[in-house]
Amino acid sequence: MTEQAIEPAATRLSPEEFADRARAIEREVGRVIVGQHALVRQTLIVMLANGHALLEGVPGLGKTLLVRTMAEVLDCAFNRIQFTPDLMPADIVGTNILIEEEGGRQFRFQPGPIFANLVLADEINRATPKTQSALLEAMQEQQVSVARQRYKLDPPFFVLATQNPLEMEGTYPLPEAQLDRFLFKLWVPFPAEEDLIAIMDRTTGAETATVEHVASGADLVAMQRLARSVPIAPHVTAYAVSLLSATHPDNERAPGLVREYVRYGGSPRGAQALVLAGKIGALMDGRYNVAIDDVREVALPALRHRVIRNFEGEAEGITPDAIIRSVLDAVPPPRVD
Amino acid sequence: MTLDPTLSQIRDGLRPFRRRLWLRRVVRDGTFSLAAVMGLELALALAARIVPLEWGRVAAAAIPLLGALALLVDAVRVRPTLGETALALDGEQGLRDRVSSALEIALRSPDLVEAPLAAEDAPTAEGTATEDAATYARFVRLQRRDALSTLRAADRRAFRPRLQRRPAAVTVVLALLLVPALLLPNPQSDVLARRENQRAAAERQAEKLEKAAERLAEGRTAPDPRLDLSAELKKLARELRERPEDLDAQLARLGSLEDALRARIDPANEQRAAALSSLARSVSRLSSGQDSNPGGDPKKANEDLARLGEKIDGMTKAEREALAADLAGLESTARQAGADAQAALRDAAQALGRGDATGAKDALGRLGDALARGARNVELNRDLARTANDLQDARRQLADAGKPANQGQGQGQGQGQGQGQGQGEGQGQGQGQGQGQGQGQGQGQGQGQGQGQGSLGGGGSNARFLGSGSSSGGFGGPTAGNKQFSTGDIDKVLADFGRLGKPGDPSYVAGTGGDGQTQQGSGTGQGTPSDAFVPYTGVFQDFYDFAITSLERSTVPLGVKDYVRDYFSSLNP
Repeated sequence: MTEQAIEPAATRLSPEEFADRARAIEREVGRVIVGQHALVRQTLIVMLANGHALLEGVPGLGKTLLVRTMAEVLDCAFNRIQFTPDLMPADIVGTNILIEEEGGRQFRFQPGPIFANLVLADEINRATPKTQSALLEAMQEQQVSVARQRYKLDPPFFVLATQNPLEMEGTYPLPEAQLDRFLFKLWVPFPAEEDLIAIMDRTTGAETATVEHVASGADLVAMQRLARSVPIAPHVTAYAVSLLSATHPDNERAPGLVREYVRYGGSPRGAQALVLAGKIGALMDGRYNVAIDDVREVALPALRHRVIRNFEGEAEGITPDAIIRSVLDAVPPPRVD
Repeated sequence: MTLDPTLSQIRDGLRPFRRRLWLRRVVRDGTFSLAAVMGLELALALAARIVPLEWGRVAAAAIPLLGALALLVDAVRVRPTLGETALALDGEQGLRDRVSSALEIALRSPDLVEAPLAAEDAPTAEGTATEDAATYARFVRLQRRDALSTLRAADRRAFRPRLQRRPAAVTVVLALLLVPALLLPNPQSDVLARRENQRAAAERQAEKLEKAAERLAEGRTAPDPRLDLSAELKKLARELRERPEDLDAQLARLGSLEDALRARIDPANEQRAAALSSLARSVSRLSSGQDSNPGGDPKKANEDLARLGEKIDGMTKAEREALAADLAGLESTARQAGADAQAALRDAAQALGRGDATGAKDALGRLGDALARGARNVELNRDLARTANDLQDARRQLADAGKPANQGQGQGQGQGQGQGQGQGEGQGQGQGQGQGQGQGQGQGQGQGQGQGQGSLGGGGSNARFLGSGSSSGGFGGPTAGNKQFSTGDIDKVLADFGRLGKPGDPSYVAGTGGDGQTQQGSGTGQGTPSDAFVPYTGVFQDFYDFAITSLERSTVPLGVKDYVRDYFSSLNP
């Protein structure tokens, strides 16, 4: 439906090509985004997993720039939607408009900005829940329904949403069901001083950094398929499941922090995220197998938005990251002596 | 099926690591096992200091064996699989689950275990579902190659055996504590030694009792009371073996039986035996005109009496009167031999006096029967007395074995002295009796009896002597001198014989009642020079000391002790 429909990859990638392209993407994005290597990598993992990411950070940290740069590097269709309280669902998914054609009038679907490969949902928590929920079908089914008509979204399709944790007045926190749709919730950290200096150099000079297309949407789709083919050992899958189970307060392996401050643990999508992201992480590292460390490395972004704290947890200021870290401590890698 | 060579090489490459991992596990568990053994040994050593553990040594030896056995079983149990080895190797060498993933996925995908076709290694073209499967298979094989190369690069010294710090430290501490616990003297050892002595003594006494029982039952037929006594002794022996630790109960049983036997024993048995023997010897002499029955055999006397009866018809009146007078002269001896014998003897004498040959024969026959019956009673009483002595000895041995070790040492010394004296006493008496009493004392009655006999039998040449064995030995030698002094001389030497030799008196021992014939024996001059002529004032103190010591060491009724003390008080010069 978009103007730049992407065809499936003509050839299958090898694992080595996967790693090369992933490194190339990271490197190219790094030309614009100073520092934030983990953020770039995790964002790329989300895209390669065919998932969606929720980026949270204070204004001015480059969230929008990151997404836009990604789109440029990947040569994908990019749309940005600025979420505001008066934004309506039709403003996102599109609507049927009456068109006069050849002596007659008919309704024609006018795609909304959701029809792109990479959609930046900026400050998603400022839109009403009704509008936010318009993203649900698109994110989960990769399609939208308008006037009883379903419109497929061309792959690859990513929603990279941002939200500002500071200005919470007049915002609508995302419901748990929608949060669960995001593969990762990424915390955008404040840059280090040396990174800030580099940012100043790059952004206050006459020249602006430019990036090249190093991969196409088709490449991305091919990489997604390859990533899903990576075999994973049962004990690694079992470990991912153990991690997820330990986020539930009634689980026997749940640490004290979970038992005391968590109302609900992560959904099975959390384990899916751990495994899939682990596979991609392994491939990006040039390995053919998923290690338990791959799973542990993505545990924070994959689970932090899936753990729902209880009142005491929120009142005590227990952060989800602290809870996930306690889970990681409570479920060490299986050790054989 | 041909196994994928890469997979096969991975398995082969893991085997040395598996052996090393196995060794590490055995060393680890061995440390725990050693700590447990040390702990148990220490606990056992401490417990053995609190309570006497008879099975302590066995347990102390069994604990290391059990520990070794447990370790052996554990070694079999902890033998790692190749999968465990792969996991352990990944963890120890930081291989990021390469090797374990390759093995686990091979198990999960058995269709990928076989050797691949050459084309399978090539990248596939267009993506379809089949191609996805091919991609998966390609990944599996890539994983295996990666795992194999990683395995080959892995440090061959992985899984070094290492001691677990905490159990090793615990083991050392326990060992240091165990050394003094084992080396310092254990107060319970004496208790155990006493119990062991007690068991050994019980076993010895049980054997003695059984021998005594066999001796009693030998050749006996019912309703001989010795058969019942034999059965009772066997029962006692059995109980001694079964419950040697129940010392008090065993002593009580032995004492009870001994008391029962003592109650049955005729206190005048030896006096009666001596009288019977003397009477038998006398009647045989009357019959044959010579000392044809020096041993006083009742059977021989019975035969002689029968012959004498046959001779009566051919005797003249004077001969019959002479015979009657001789028989009447034996009446005092017959009175001691028993009422039956006395009555028969008196009847015979009276019948001869009346000229009643038939009555005399009948009376002589009854006299023979009385002699035989009396001899059997004497034998029975001697058996009972011997058994009672055995029981007393057993009781004493058991009681000594049950005493604490330090007391046992003191007691042992005391016993040693006592035994030495006892032996001397026995020998001395044996000699003394044999020489002094000659024929009449040839049976040997033991220590006390020998002394008593001597005193009682002083009517003849019997040695009148009451004292310790050492003195009796000294006395035994000079029995040759006995022939030279008479009863009157004896009275001067020993004094107050009237208080001795009464039936029922504990110090009384029946003598054989010498008939004056001992001059035959003593006259040969075989004895050694006698010290018996030394005035008693010269040896009184020695006798007194020995008697008091004996009283203190032996279980003697208070009344008897007083009796002995009074006796010596009366003799005190």
